[in-house]
Amino acid sequence: MNQAQNPFSLSLRRIWALSHNTFLELVRLKVFYFLLLFAFLIIGSSLFTVQFSFQNPLQVLKDVGLGAMSIFSWLLGLLCTANLLPKDMEDRTLYTILAKPVSRFEYLLGKLYGVFLLLGLSVLLMSLLFAGVLAIREQQEIAELARNLSPENLPAAVAEIRAATFQMNLLPGIALILLKAMLCSTLTLLLSTLASSSVFTVLTSVVVYLIGHVQGIAREAWLAGGQASPLLKVLVAGMALAFPDLQLFNVVDEIAVGTALPALLFWQVAGFGGMYILVYFLLAQLVFSTREL
Amino acid sequence: MSATAILIKDLCKEFPVPFRRETVKAVQNLSLEVPAGEVYGLLGPNGSGKSTTMKIVLGLVRPTSGTTSVFGVDSRRVESRENVGFLPENPYFYKYLTGLETLLFFGKLCGLAGSPLRERSRELLHTVGLEEAADRRLGGYSKGMLQRIGLAQALLGEPRLLVLDEPTAGVDPAGAHAIRDLILQCKQRGITVLLCSHLLGQVQEICDRIGIMDRGELLAEGRIDDLAGKKNQIELVLENATPALLESLGAMSRASGAQVVSQRGARTDLEKFFLDVTRHRS
Repeated sequence: MNQAQNPFSLSLRRIWALSHNTFLELVRLKVFYFLLLFAFLIIGSSLFTVQFSFQNPLQVLKDVGLGAMSIFSWLLGLLCTANLLPKDMEDRTLYTILAKPVSRFEYLLGKLYGVFLLLGLSVLLMSLLFAGVLAIREQQEIAELARNLSPENLPAAVAEIRAATFQMNLLPGIALILLKAMLCSTLTLLLSTLASSSVFTVLTSVVVYLIGHVQGIAREAWLAGGQASPLLKVLVAGMALAFPDLQLFNVVDEIAVGTALPALLFWQVAGFGGMYILVYFLLAQLVFSTREL
Repeated sequence: MSATAILIKDLCKEFPVPFRRETVKAVQNLSLEVPAGEVYGLLGPNGSGKSTTMKIVLGLVRPTSGTTSVFGVDSRRVESRENVGFLPENPYFYKYLTGLETLLFFGKLCGLAGSPLRERSRELLHTVGLEEAADRRLGGYSKGMLQRIGLAQALLGEPRLLVLDEPTAGVDPAGAHAIRDLILQCKQRGITVLLCSHLLGQVQEICDRIGIMDRGELLAEGRIDDLAGKKNQIELVLENATPALLESLGAMSRASGAQVVSQRGARTDLEKFFLDVTRHRS
């Protein structure tokens, strides 16, 4: 028994072949176009709905755009990842793949990278539309200023509008949206290695997503006043460790209102997300490597 | 380089029954050896443990106890599959890929790349008779075509061992005949074949040796002639024999102490007849 298979056997060529194929598989799914269309409709239509808002139009556009990107990238990652393993197992394509010199680690990593590629493409497309919407609104605002302001005051006002439209911290905000979707996809992959049905995987993943968003608030409420019992503290610590605090990714809300995102905070959140992705993936590998096919 | 293609020693596999403390014994104390270059048929009724044995040999399932190796390499190691081609029963591939794309994908998993992979894929498409369907998506392939593309992907990495699980299941006689010919070509090229099939006639035609399993145990093993041949009987087929000749042959047999067990009009092989008829129409 000393010749056991190395669970982390690695070939970048095989991983790339698997991720490329997974990407092709996911791009052909109807749900991809359906969700992307919805995201496009929401981001695009915000250009018209903003006229009925009393808030700063650019801020509303950013709120709606970043919010839609966050929700739809998460939903896309969730729905695409949940069915990856069960489908390959049901169709027995998994047997044909693993009967080649492909380790389960490579297979799982290839599948996850395929999902990441899809998420990257989706977020890129949504970002381009978002940038287009912002540019159109910017031109509308400038045209309105030109009508209302005297020529000598115009350049300063235009510069102010331009600075408020394309702030540099939109980019780290979008990067965090992508990272959050990647984290939730990795979690879904882990759940799909444990579950026997994709419906269960989707439901559990949604529950974990909700827990991830409220756990920070719950933690503060339970531990307030220093009266919490040791058992409750252990439970809270366990929950904080098992489920990522997804509220941390809501720095995007601050970005939407124009608050600058400190570099340190960005890297802290990115490091936090990256660490959870790594831990969830290693757990998924651990479960999948011992699973009977 | 090991002269033994597959070596199975004291193999046991038990599957736990959910919510019970019981286990189902899928394979029990199985030991067998398939020398390199041999075509070995693993036979048995459904649930006899054939597929589990195959999966363990391919490293897809872990044994409860015992060992399996392929060309001297432990089956649990990824390297053991470098010389193996596998065709599962009723294979499903990605329907959105064309025949050529399927081979390119599986070729990359075998470590092939670039123009050698493209050439090898084209060559195999020609070998399995799917050249014209190379650019068609697999979603539009018939069952026989899927089996043939499955065989092509199994042969991609120039394997020294082919593991075939019901390679002609659900395929029409012409397709089955073509697959059988391909297996015989592999045999001639010295490729070891482990074949699981319910079609005993086909097994008899192709295999050098067989093993019969039931309830996880190997009940019989050996050369087909040794296991199924009737050593004290011989078949004699005559053409244009007159009734008088048959009468005198019968009399000579009785006189020498032999016995004519059966005498009937010879028939052509039904498969051969079917193929002749369909070939003429096409």
